[in-house]
Amino acid sequence: MRRWRSPLGLRATVTVSFAAGALTVSALLALSTYVAARHYLVDQRERIATRQAFVDASVVRDGLLTAGARESDVIGSVSPPASSDILLYRDGQWFSSSLREGSASVPPAVLSDALSGTASLAWTSTSDGPGIVVGVPLPAVRGEFFEVSSTTELAGTLSTLSTVLLISALVTTLGGALLGRAAARRLVAPLDTISGAAANIAIGKLETRLPGTDDPDLAVIVGSFNAMVETLQDRIERDARFAADLSHELRSPLTTLKASVDVLVRRRHELSDRGQQALDLVEGELERLRQSLEDLLELGRLDAGVATLDLAPTDLGDLVRHALMERHRGTDPLLILAGPVPSSGDATPLPVLVDKGQIHRALLNLFTNADVHGEGLAAVTLERARDQVMVFVDDAGAGVEPTDRERIFDRFARAGSRGSRPGSGLGLSLVVETVQAHGGAAWCTESPTGGARFVMRLPLLMDDNDAPDRDSDAGAQARPGDGVSHGHPSDAVQPATGRSS
Amino acid sequence: MSPRLLLLEDDDGIRTALRLSMEDEGYEVVDAADAETALAAVQESAPDLMLVDLMLGGMDGFSFIRSVRPTSSAPIIVLSARSDTHDIVAALEAGADDYVTKPFEVKELSARLRALRRRPPVAVGPDTDAAHTSHQLVLDRENGPLVLDEAAGLVRRGDRHVHLTVTEYRLLCELGAASGRVLSRRALLESVWDRGYFGDERIVDVHVRRLRTKIESDPGTPTLLVTVRGLGYRLDPR
Repeated sequence: MRRWRSPLGLRATVTVSFAAGALTVSALLALSTYVAARHYLVDQRERIATRQAFVDASVVRDGLLTAGARESDVIGSVSPPASSDILLYRDGQWFSSSLREGSASVPPAVLSDALSGTASLAWTSTSDGPGIVVGVPLPAVRGEFFEVSSTTELAGTLSTLSTVLLISALVTTLGGALLGRAAARRLVAPLDTISGAAANIAIGKLETRLPGTDDPDLAVIVGSFNAMVETLQDRIERDARFAADLSHELRSPLTTLKASVDVLVRRRHELSDRGQQALDLVEGELERLRQSLEDLLELGRLDAGVATLDLAPTDLGDLVRHALMERHRGTDPLLILAGPVPSSGDATPLPVLVDKGQIHRALLNLFTNADVHGEGLAAVTLERARDQVMVFVDDAGAGVEPTDRERIFDRFARAGSRGSRPGSGLGLSLVVETVQAHGGAAWCTESPTGGARFVMRLPLLMDDNDAPDRDSDAGAQARPGDGVSHGHPSDAVQPATGRSS
Repeated sequence: MSPRLLLLEDDDGIRTALRLSMEDEGYEVVDAADAETALAAVQESAPDLMLVDLMLGGMDGFSFIRSVRPTSSAPIIVLSARSDTHDIVAALEAGADDYVTKPFEVKELSARLRALRRRPPVAVGPDTDAAHTSHQLVLDRENGPLVLDEAAGLVRRGDRHVHLTVTEYRLLCELGAASGRVLSRRALLESVWDRGYFGDERIVDVHVRRLRTKIESDPGTPTLLVTVRGLGYRLDPR
């Protein structure tokens, strides 16, 4: 589909189109009105001038026929309208009724027509502006009669008319623009509803639908939009079901394998040396297979966007300590609290809103990564930075080449050969995606001692009661952060994780 | 005598493997591949513990739990192939006591089983009348009265015996021992289910709900076993 390019928005485009349409129509109308009116008025004026000229000419002729009459007296006796003047050409001499007009006002064409015995009319310029000259031959008295009338009143009428028409054209254009804006707003209003619904769907509210409408034009859009969302929702649910089905299919045989291997391990001493070696291999690889499956399923769920995060307010310090304890069988030698965190053990609340199980798994993945690829865990540091908290996981290895620091988060990316190194190749990408799903970020840098440092950044949970009270007296332990502002009715299903340590 | 364990699982491989490993753990295992057989086995051998797979052909695990619950108070652990929250909550609501997600470690499963098999905190000392009465906790004087008799290991409302599962009874004992004080979900999860930091607190919530339907006069507005928002639960005897 070609992208529809327009420098203007939809609203502006519609408004401008309406204005342009109104301007075209009103200009055409005004122009044709002006032309017709002008034609009619000019015609009328010429006719009046002609009639007047003939009347005046006959008066002059009759006056000159009177014996002994002088031309100037005859002309003076005629009383033409105020804007008209009379000229008489007789025996090579010009006579005029006023000083305003002279022979110059008569165009040569009219003069020659009159001399050749034909009455004619022409437009000329008078001292007052445009005017009409009518030439009438007077053969009976051997003279030519000319009447020059000024048409300033016609020019005034026409200029008034054109002003009125111009103003009305402008008003029509403005009206068109206003109408266009209203129409555009009406047109775009449903789009706002649609974009609101789309935004809701994008943030995961898949049950969002557009409300029904009576408008037959909109009904089609609403119908296809809702159908699209329906399909999308179906698809996502099918993907989620597929992941669940896959997990069921793969987990059953794995359960059998693990339980059977456990029986074998219990009877390890009954096996020969070779048998024991083989069993050790099976046990190790089975664990690797299990870990890969878990990682793969978790990634699949994160991909499909259906990983339901069981978010609960949790102290990140606690979470890291528990992960470390699980990792190092009860010792807690590596945790460093840095930055503005008071370093007095349990009293350091770093409240975060997380899915404990998932962040736990991400931490374990980082610890495993340090063991497998970095010659062991060197230090784990918690640092608070304003509204964020950082977890630094440093290893004792040689560090990661700067060029590899992004690549190692790719799925199935490995530093070095596959060889005998355990791990699914999914651990670090799972870390990144899990942390991102929690609104944080994860990346790799260099530790102060030259090893690799993996950083996990999570947003702190900003609570109204800033310091969640932690009453560790017998039996009555407050759960940090699970308090007033975020309190859901505690009777409702509590978010928590399904994985036990 | 070794504890009897009913194993309901339709996957032959898992059933056989679990049977072997559970026998290694010292259980006497009665297994069944479908819910009907398992129901008959419950009638016949009254197991001390049950391991139930949720996804079965025919009658499913949820229905099995619902039909077995009226007659058996033995702890039930659900084997779930999904960490799907709906399935787990539904199973707990049907009457299961705990769950493990496949693939699980046998070690983890036996830890869960051991936790649920622990004896309820029974009163110690000479069984005199005085000792007897001192281990009776009157929960509700008005309706019944409702009495938690720790010496006899049961709950009575008037003369009637209120039927609680083993786990519900242990939960009530824990709350009763701390009556008037708030117990956090985590503390309850620790003491009743022996679950650690990553335990699923929904287990406590569902059990509290189930317990309320049995001991509260109006389970919708609990007055005896109350929720303390953000902290946990408290038993307020009247």
